[in-house]
Amino acid sequence: MKWALVAVAVAAVVALRVWGHRRRRRGTEPPGSPSAGRLTLGGSVGLVAAREVRERLRGRVFRVGTLLILLVVAGAIVIPVITRGAQGPEKVGVVGALSAGRREAVRAVGKQAGVVVHVVSEPSLADAEGALRSGRISLCIDGSRLLVDKASSVSDTYVEDLADELGVARAYVRAGLSSAQESELARARPLDVVSLQPSARNTVRTTSIIGVILIFVMLTQYLTWTLMGVMEEKSSRVVEVLLATVRPLQLLTGKVLGIGLVAMGQAVLVVAFALVLAKAVGSSLLHGTAPVELVSVLVWLVLGYAFYCWVYAAAGSTVERQDQVQTLALPLSLPMILGYVMALTTASSGSPSPFFEVLAYLPITAPFAMPILVGLSRVAWWEFVASALISVAATAAVARLAAGIYRRAILRTGSRVRLRDMMARHG
Amino acid sequence: MLELQGLTRRFGAVTALDGLSFSVPSGRVVGFLGPNGAGKTTTMRAVFGLTDLDAGSVRWNDAPIGQAERRRFGYMPEERGLYPGMLVGEQLDYLGRLHGMDAATTVTAARRWLERLGVAGRARDKVESLSHGNQQRVQLAAALVHDPELLVLDEPLAGLDPTGIDAIGEVLVEQAHAGRGVLFSSHQLDLVEDLCEEVVIIDRGRLVAAGSVDELATSGPRRLVVRVDGDRQGRWARGLAGVEVSEVAGGVVRLVLDESVDTQALLRAAMEAGPVLEFGMERRKLSEVFREALE
Repeated sequence: MKWALVAVAVAAVVALRVWGHRRRRRGTEPPGSPSAGRLTLGGSVGLVAAREVRERLRGRVFRVGTLLILLVVAGAIVIPVITRGAQGPEKVGVVGALSAGRREAVRAVGKQAGVVVHVVSEPSLADAEGALRSGRISLCIDGSRLLVDKASSVSDTYVEDLADELGVARAYVRAGLSSAQESELARARPLDVVSLQPSARNTVRTTSIIGVILIFVMLTQYLTWTLMGVMEEKSSRVVEVLLATVRPLQLLTGKVLGIGLVAMGQAVLVVAFALVLAKAVGSSLLHGTAPVELVSVLVWLVLGYAFYCWVYAAAGSTVERQDQVQTLALPLSLPMILGYVMALTTASSGSPSPFFEVLAYLPITAPFAMPILVGLSRVAWWEFVASALISVAATAAVARLAAGIYRRAILRTGSRVRLRDMMARHG
Repeated sequence: MLELQGLTRRFGAVTALDGLSFSVPSGRVVGFLGPNGAGKTTTMRAVFGLTDLDAGSVRWNDAPIGQAERRRFGYMPEERGLYPGMLVGEQLDYLGRLHGMDAATTVTAARRWLERLGVAGRARDKVESLSHGNQQRVQLAAALVHDPELLVLDEPLAGLDPTGIDAIGEVLVEQAHAGRGVLFSSHQLDLVEDLCEEVVIIDRGRLVAAGSVDELATSGPRRLVVRVDGDRQGRWARGLAGVEVSEVAGGVVRLVLDESVDTQALLRAAMEAGPVLEFGMERRKLSEVFREALE
C-alpha cells in the first residue's frame, strides 16, 4: 500500500523536476545567482508537494483511515462470499408421494430464488415436524400445506414462490389436466414487453453508486486536509518563513498537488485492492463493474478535487483557529452535499430530472451527477467531455481567484479575514 | 548592505510605518528597538516582501531586492515559524532545499548547526516536543542552515534562559565577524548593549535614534559621578553655573553638565569641599538612551 503511494508521488516529483529543468534550459533563470537553477516553479512546487506527500503518508490519521477503508471494502467483498459458502443446500421434506415433475418444479423454483434445494422424503408428519424443529430440513410439503419452523428460517421469496407454484399445480390436477398438458402449462413464460419509447427507468451500475460514495468520502477527507493544512501553516507562522523564499502561488500549488497525489494514490489503491480481492475470492459484487464507469469515477474524483482544493485552500488562508475552521466547513461543503444527495436519489429512482442533468454540467456538482448519468448510460461521450472542459475552465478561474485571496489573507493575522477585505487592493 | 528607504505602510487608519529609513551594514550586529507596536515586525516583514508597502523601497547592495536576493537571507519570525508536527532534522532539510541547496549539503549544514546550537540530539524529535528554548535554537538553525548573507531575527532572545541567550548571542556576533549583516529586535536592552555595535530605535513607525552604541551612550549632555568624603548631599556642587544635580544616592552625586562647564574647575571645587573619593564621566545606559529617545 505504502509503496504504491510512494511510487505515484515519486513519479510526480520526477515529472515536476523534469519540467523545471526544461524551463531552466529555456533560460528563464537569471544566470550567475548562487541558487540559480532551483528557483523554478517546478523545483519549489516539487519540494512543497513532496513534503506534503511525506508528512501525510506518515500521519497516523492517513494510515488508520486507509486501513479502515480497506477493511470495509474487504468486508463488503469477502463476507457475502463466506456466508454464501457456509449456506448449504436447503433440504425440503416431503410427506407422502410427490411426482417427479413436481420434484423438478420444487428444484426449479429454488434455482430462480438463488437457493439450492434437496428434496428428501419424510416417513410421517410427526417426523417431518421433528426434522423442521431440529433444523434438519427447512421446509416441508404436506399435501396442501407448506410447513416451516419459523417464517424467517428459509428464504421468504422461495417459500412464497414455491407456495404459488404448488397451488397452481394442485389447481391443474383438480381441473383434470393430463400430465403432458400440465408440463406444457408449467413451461409458460411471460411475454416480452416492448416499449415504443426508450424506458424512462433504468438501472444504474453499482460501480457508479459506489464510485460517487467514494468521491464524496475522499473529497471530504482531502479537502479538510487542505483547509486544515493551510490554516496550520498560517497559525504556526511557518508560512512567513516559507513565503520569504517561495511565491504564494508556488506554495499553494505544491500543497494542493501533494495532497491531491496522496488522494489519488489512495483511490487507486482502494480500487485496485477491491478488484484484485474480488477476483481472488470469486465475489459477484463487482460483476457489474464496467471500465467506462470506473474511469468516469476516477476522472471526476480528479476534477472534483482540482476544483474544490483551491476553494478550500483560499478559505483556509482566512482563518487561524480551529473554531473559525468549523464555521467555514459547513457552508463550504453544502454544494458537495447537494450534489451527493441528488446523485444518490437519482441513482435509486433511475430517472434523472432535467434539474439533475443541469447539475451534471456545473463544476460544483458535476463530480457527483456526471458519474451517475454515465452509470445510467444517459450521456454521449461529447457531453461528458463538455462537462469536463467546463470544469477545467472553471478550475482555472477559481485557482486564479483563490491564489489572489490566499496571497492577501495568509499573512494577515488576528481576526478572521473577511471576503470584502480580500477584494481590496491591499492585504 | 541592506537599506530601507522611506518605508510607509498603513493599515486602515493606523500608520504602522511612516517614512522609515535606516541601513544594516554587512559585518555588523544591529539591534532594532522600539516599544510594542512601534512597527518593528512590520519592518522585518517588509524586508521579505511579506507586507505590501504604500511607499518606500528595500535595497540590497545598491539594487532593488527580489525573490533571488531574499533567498540568500535568513529570517526568524517572532513566534514559532516551524511545523509543530515535523521532525527537527527534516524541517531544516526542507528549508535548506527551498533556499536552493542540494540535499547532501543541506543535511551536513543542518547537522552542523544543530550541533553548534546544542540540540544535535533532537534531530529525530518533533518540534512540538521541544522546550521553548530548544525550539528557539532550532528556529535559529533554520534561519542559518543555508548560510545566509543577512540575518533578520524578530525577538530571537525572548523567553530564553541565560545559557540560551549566551548560545544564540555568540552565534550572532560570530556571524557578523564572518561578514554577515545581522538585524535583530529585542526588548532586553542590556543584552542589546552587550551584543550590538549599532542600534536603531523606532517609535510609531518613525526613526527616533540610530547610530553606534558608543555614539549614543556618549551623546547628549555630559554626566559626571562624584563622591566627596564629608559631603554626602553634594552641597558643594549646588549653585555652580551650568551644573545640575540630577541624583543623590548613597553619597554619590550625579551631575549633568552644560557644554561650557570645565571639568577641571569642577574637580577643584570638589576637592575644596573634602577628599574626593570618586570622580568620573558616566556613559549613558542604552535604556536611558531608549527612554529619552521616546520622550
